[in-house]
Amino acid sequence: MLAERARRGDEHAYGELVRAYQGIAFRTAFLLTGSADDAEDATQTGFVKAWKALPRFRPGAEFRPWLLRIVANEAHNRRRSRKRREALGLRAAPEMASGGAVPSPEALALEDERRRELLAAVNRLDERDRDVLACRYFLELSEDETATVLGVRRGTVKSRTARALERLRGEVAS
Amino acid sequence: MNELERALVALGRELAVPDAPDLAPRVLEALDRPTRAPRPRLRLALVLAAVLVAALLAALAIPDARSALLRFFHIGAVKIEVVDELPTVAPDPPELDLGSALGRRVSLERARRTAGFDLRELADPPDRVYLGPRGTVWFLYGRPDAVRLLVAQTPKLWIDEPFILKKLAAAGTSVETTSVRGGRAYFLSGEPHEVLLLDEYGLPVHDTLRLARNTLLWQQDGRTLRLEGDFSRDEAVTIAESLR
Repeated sequence: MLAERARRGDEHAYGELVRAYQGIAFRTAFLLTGSADDAEDATQTGFVKAWKALPRFRPGAEFRPWLLRIVANEAHNRRRSRKRREALGLRAAPEMASGGAVPSPEALALEDERRRELLAAVNRLDERDRDVLACRYFLELSEDETATVLGVRRGTVKSRTARALERLRGEVAS
Repeated sequence: MNELERALVALGRELAVPDAPDLAPRVLEALDRPTRAPRPRLRLALVLAAVLVAALLAALAIPDARSALLRFFHIGAVKIEVVDELPTVAPDPPELDLGSALGRRVSLERARRTAGFDLRELADPPDRVYLGPRGTVWFLYGRPDAVRLLVAQTPKLWIDEPFILKKLAAAGTSVETTSVRGGRAYFLSGEPHEVLLLDEYGLPVHDTLRLARNTLLWQQDGRTLRLEGDFSRDEAVTIAESLR
């Protein structure tokens, strides 16, 4: 197992781990900071800190949420140092996937508009709401993984998600 | 999953997230190899700590023998007298509602059922029991505004030894390395205010001490235990070794 080999000091194994997890780690950091530069910096620093913390990593524990929590902490640190909260927005991809049968141009435009409205509503939420929604739905993490990444209890993830969804409904309706 | 949740998952898959760069070469280059081995000063500290432990074990040889004898004859009550004789301590700060700060008050029986691990207990039951964050079980002897002894045990926090040895000592807390049942323990005095523990992922958790008095900290049977009170190191070790 790569994590166990890395824990014993095998740098080659750790390099393999970095390549295996850098995609989800970078995506996590980007969704929390909204900045590619900050995400890259947070991810790289997170991997270095994780290496140093590996002797304390419990054998048998899940590596992914453990790593993502360290990266998320780094991302939060960079986000806090930013002055302008509005600079953290997410952008929709220029090419939206249509999926299924070929829809009409009007249907595509309507779908695109709905997604942009939903994204704008997500961006209006406060950081706590947006973070839990990003973990649960954009990163598609389980409740347990989200609890680890955000450093809260599983019950807190459930209640925080429910409240964030309720506020998001309000934002979409407004 | 309802319609809004499905829409969020679909949205997440279409967000413009840049491709992750290949960070492996930079990460491997940045690894600070010497930190994997103890640094010279830390190594010196560990050696000194080991020497101190050996010296303390020798010094404590007679009390250990006495404890073993007492255990053999099941004279546990002798140790409880130590708790009864401890002076009471107010919370720090004094206006702190200690009961609320410790967590939810429960019966000892309920704590035993819900802790998720076998509690280590003194012969005399605590006056109050609380379930705190991170699965911590608190035993309070005395009253919340006049505490004789606090006992905390948690299966999810671990001792950060380098922090204990270096940073707390540098911050003015006196740190003595001692022994509880043959395992390493730390006696903090000089008005310690916090300990740095590690959670199950090895990430640091700052924990404020509830009483600005002395603290004994050690790991035993897969958990971290902590005593807080106005006791000497030897009294604390005696109480710690009376926990069953």
